[in-house]
Amino acid sequence: MKRQPYELANAAQDGGAVFWKSLEEKNSNDGLQKMKEAEFPLGISPDELPKGVVAQVSRRGFVKVGAAMTALLGLDGCVRRPVEKIAPYTRAPEYAIPGVPSHYATVVSQRGEALGLLVEAHEGRPTKVEGNPDHPASKGAADLLAQASILDLYDPDRSTSVVHGGKPAKYDEFEKAFELLMEATEADAGAKMRVLVQPTNSPTFVRLRDQVRQRFSQARFHTWSAVSDSNAREGARLAFGQPMHANYDYARARVIVSLDSDFLQTEPGAVRATRSFADGRRLREPSDTMSRLYMVESTYSTTGANADHRLRLPSRDVERYARLLAKELAASGLDLGPVRGALGDSPADGIPEHWIKSVAKEILANRGRAVIVAGTRQPARVHALVHALNAALGNVGQVVTYTPVVDVAEQDHASDLRQLALDMDGGKVETLVILGGNPVYDAPGDVKFGERLAKVKNTFHLSSRVDETSKACAWHVPLAHSFEAWGDQRSLDGTWSIQQPLIQPLRDGKSEIELLSLMVGGLMETGDKPRSGYDSVRDTLRQVSRATTGFEKQWTTALSRGLLPGSAPFAFTPSDVKGADIAAELAKPRPAAKPLGGGQVEVVFTADDKMVDGRHANNPWLCELPAPMTKIVWDNAAYLSPKTAADLGVTSGDVIELSREGASATIAAWILPGHADGSVTVSLGWGRTDAGRYGNGRGFDVNRLRSVESLHFTDGVAVRNTGARHELTQTQDHHSMEGRPVAIDATLDEYKATPNFSQFRSPTPRTLPLWNRRDYSQGHRWGMNIDLSACTGCNACVVACQAENNVATVGKDQVGRGREMLWLRVDRYFVGSDEADPKVAMQPLACVQCEEAPCENVCPVNATAHSPEGLNDMAYNRCIGTRYCANNCPYKVRRFNYLEFQGGEQIGGPPEALYGELPEVRKMQFNPNVTVRMRGVMEKCTYCVQRIQEGKIAAKRSGQPVRDGDITPACAQTCPANAITFGDLNDPTARVTQAAKRDRSYQLLAEIGTHPRTTYLGKIRNPNTSPEWTKEKG
Amino acid sequence: MQLFPRALNKLPLVAAVGLTGALVGVVFVFWYYFSPKNLQVGYAPIQPVPYSHRLHAGQLGIDCRYCHANIERSAHAMIPPTQTCMGCHSVVKTDSARLANVRASWTSGAPIEWVKVHKLPEHAFFDHSAHLAAGVGCSTCHGRIDQMDVVRLDKPISMGWCLECHRDPTPNLRPKDQITNMDWRPEMAPPGWQPPAVNPPQHCSGCHR
Repeated sequence: MKRQPYELANAAQDGGAVFWKSLEEKNSNDGLQKMKEAEFPLGISPDELPKGVVAQVSRRGFVKVGAAMTALLGLDGCVRRPVEKIAPYTRAPEYAIPGVPSHYATVVSQRGEALGLLVEAHEGRPTKVEGNPDHPASKGAADLLAQASILDLYDPDRSTSVVHGGKPAKYDEFEKAFELLMEATEADAGAKMRVLVQPTNSPTFVRLRDQVRQRFSQARFHTWSAVSDSNAREGARLAFGQPMHANYDYARARVIVSLDSDFLQTEPGAVRATRSFADGRRLREPSDTMSRLYMVESTYSTTGANADHRLRLPSRDVERYARLLAKELAASGLDLGPVRGALGDSPADGIPEHWIKSVAKEILANRGRAVIVAGTRQPARVHALVHALNAALGNVGQVVTYTPVVDVAEQDHASDLRQLALDMDGGKVETLVILGGNPVYDAPGDVKFGERLAKVKNTFHLSSRVDETSKACAWHVPLAHSFEAWGDQRSLDGTWSIQQPLIQPLRDGKSEIELLSLMVGGLMETGDKPRSGYDSVRDTLRQVSRATTGFEKQWTTALSRGLLPGSAPFAFTPSDVKGADIAAELAKPRPAAKPLGGGQVEVVFTADDKMVDGRHANNPWLCELPAPMTKIVWDNAAYLSPKTAADLGVTSGDVIELSREGASATIAAWILPGHADGSVTVSLGWGRTDAGRYGNGRGFDVNRLRSVESLHFTDGVAVRNTGARHELTQTQDHHSMEGRPVAIDATLDEYKATPNFSQFRSPTPRTLPLWNRRDYSQGHRWGMNIDLSACTGCNACVVACQAENNVATVGKDQVGRGREMLWLRVDRYFVGSDEADPKVAMQPLACVQCEEAPCENVCPVNATAHSPEGLNDMAYNRCIGTRYCANNCPYKVRRFNYLEFQGGEQIGGPPEALYGELPEVRKMQFNPNVTVRMRGVMEKCTYCVQRIQEGKIAAKRSGQPVRDGDITPACAQTCPANAITFGDLNDPTARVTQAAKRDRSYQLLAEIGTHPRTTYLGKIRNPNTSPEWTKEKG
Repeated sequence: MQLFPRALNKLPLVAAVGLTGALVGVVFVFWYYFSPKNLQVGYAPIQPVPYSHRLHAGQLGIDCRYCHANIERSAHAMIPPTQTCMGCHSVVKTDSARLANVRASWTSGAPIEWVKVHKLPEHAFFDHSAHLAAGVGCSTCHGRIDQMDVVRLDKPISMGWCLECHRDPTPNLRPKDQITNMDWRPEMAPPGWQPPAVNPPQHCSGCHR
């Protein structure tokens, strides 16, 4: 059938913004057009069937079997349903009520921040993670890593026992051998013992480490993590003489200048920052104010996507920009002391003048309400300069505060690791204990950690799986998941939380502090027995507890609330910035920047949005989560700008070789509009070889290209197109809405001029409805509102939905066929006609629960039907899989189970061993209140109907009506930005009703008359409208 | 020449009537005998412990909720843990042969594997607490458990049967203090008592999630 052009398509013609999901779409690629028309790219195709099936089964045979089955179908009723057993407890645990989930407060260490969580457990089985509303780091929200961490607990590839010399061994054997070794090591006070640890926020870890140091006065601890805030710590050390955390109050800031800092996604404390940033930009009416974010970065990060202005600069040039900005500020009268003289004379090549003059002017106009923040990629001196600037501007104490770090002994990771490597070379290391981490995989290439490890006699590795490092060590000890072990963590603001286990270690794992206790050995207060994790944590708390009596009460409060009340120290304001030290550091000569271009590029190493440094590599949810900006699944890629790609002659999918100083790495290229020219971004954490069944061989390992000197970015990298191709699978062109204006945005000025701007681009339908509309004015009328201005596109909601609703992962091959199952997707639109520097709009989209649902009219078996509360229900057992509903859905939010994605008998089977045989242990995560869908069934979002039913039943039990906020779908609950509100639209005081009534509220594709229950608030940007800026922009 | 006898002229009529009758018969047989009402009701499997509700709930008059605790809070009616049995039987009938499996479970820690009698259709989610809160009594769905030595399925527990009540719940409601009264009859309602408007769901997601 010929497709009719959509009347509102290409809003660009009448001056509106251009929305496009990919370069292919923008430039009307023919292949893409065909894909759109096919709706479902492929049905079941012969290559998915086992070999020979097509040849063996004749049409006649098929009809014979089919007829016989139909005849036998009637006998189905004769068969007694299978006998089911009920196994009650023998001794029921106290307070455990079968069928009523319990919630435990705990904490998880995430990207350097301790995130307070509430974990839901069904009959002792942790199933879902939520943020702890009482905890200042999470405020009830959780990020995508915390949401996905529940699946790490049930990872089938975690090691099950101690491994010694490649063979399984008993923990007792390890304990005995380890204790004997420790006693022998005492002879030389541990002079030849080294311990490699991860950076920590745990007071118990630090206390036990210090005890180990007492026992072995000559032993040394080294810290290494491939992704860390080491530069920020060193910057603070430079500026204040001691390491400390800077906390930024984005909610109160008027202007924010981010120097390569992805503070909304990959930097420490992103959950808190996201809430704070969104609060600073939440508009209720046109007269409200919002902050303005200037972003200077090389790659296109989530934070960059939320910036009002974004300057594309290679990461190495960000420092140049910082110096120029500081100079301009100083020239405009800011007293920078000795720092001013050390700023140097950097040329302003590639940096537009208004980015210096205008930004400086705005910062000065907002003294005390401006935030300048540097990214962890930037060297320590940039951080120090930023501290000096914030102090001179009077921002400190206003929007910038400082808190002490937990571990003051932590040194700069790169030099610390290099020192360890040198010691290993020099034969100074006989015993190396590696507590967590995976240095053989993630140490910089020039450290050659694996080779050097072979020179060490006694090696121990504590790790969740037998990974690259474990294989190179004599002993491997299984590491307990953080939901399995006692511990404690302090957040960046100092809040002290107890890590409370929910379940006995499934795989007999031990925690880091339990191993440290073993090392402390004889020094223990209680004699020779190592303290358990529980005792160690209590010991620490008892030491700092100011209460001499009532410790138990304090302990119970800490456990139940998830934090120790009043444990966050008063944020302090360092009085003296050591200007002279900063100046001296800034004035140090640096190697000249190498020219970019002519096959030479800068390479930037970023923490992966999903894998971080590779620690989540075997998590299928994260593997399959489309990367926030590129929507690539199951892979990482080298991102480069369209211009750089053209210069180098590469296109997306070409495998390129990056090489410098003898080190090289190959990786598939991906053109990312908006990337800085001359720069290539690669993310860490992929290309693992020993991660497990899901993570092995996914993506490309780029750690070899890193070096101690240039850990985060390096120029002078030669690029060569190898000529090979790698298929990168992405979802950005799936579920196309054909250029209809969906993510509606405006500038603050436009909003002020026309508060209801979004309704013009989402007009009411011109045709009359075909039948009388149903009356929903009685009872509940569930609805959702998503504020596109608050949404940062962090994707936490996507994983939360997956965890709550038993949504399957399907594997790279199936995603390539357009069969991903995610109910909720975050569409990323590029906005603007400039391919080199587009803006971005993010739009989370799940089923919008149309009141006049097109899907329902076409279902031949009434499997999808409307509830009186307006939900578009799915009765999975009725569905016969015609897929008509998905065809008729204008929002493309329905998902079909083409195969047994949740385990079960397969016809043939996909090439990837992803499902078919779902590991038993993984099934423990399933939400018992949601059906696990089978092959041939359509599924979609129903506003977490199980939560709605539970909320209504709870209200029935208590005899009270359902109040606003009693029912929260998984996506809204986890949203760090509070962008999603849910409630009863018949309740005039409900937050969702208020939000839906706001002037910038609009219905998606309102003109087609579906009357969706989900409404959106149009995105507001806050560009600089000063004459200097607009003139320069020309 | 006449090949077929004259009587055969009636054949089409006889065949039409006969076949229609047979068809109706087959449909009736399936409709009646193959329904849960006929196939499921009466299911009374042998349980690992010969526990008698007639004795405990009927003659001794133990309240249902003594063993099926938390039924007012949870979706599940919880088969009691062995602990509950032993609460009494560590002092009462301590050496009864009928309790051998209970004692074995208590010493070994292995659960007693009861056979499920009241099995919902697949893909349906049922919540006891909601029904109790509305005022549906135990006997409404489970029958006279207090008169059963072996628990027997008394009602079809099929979707049609559920919906009958969800469409008109009033005859099946009782005051909340009469929930566990096995002998309840509507005429026993206190004078002036009105069944509450409970508004049970009749749409798919009420039970299917």
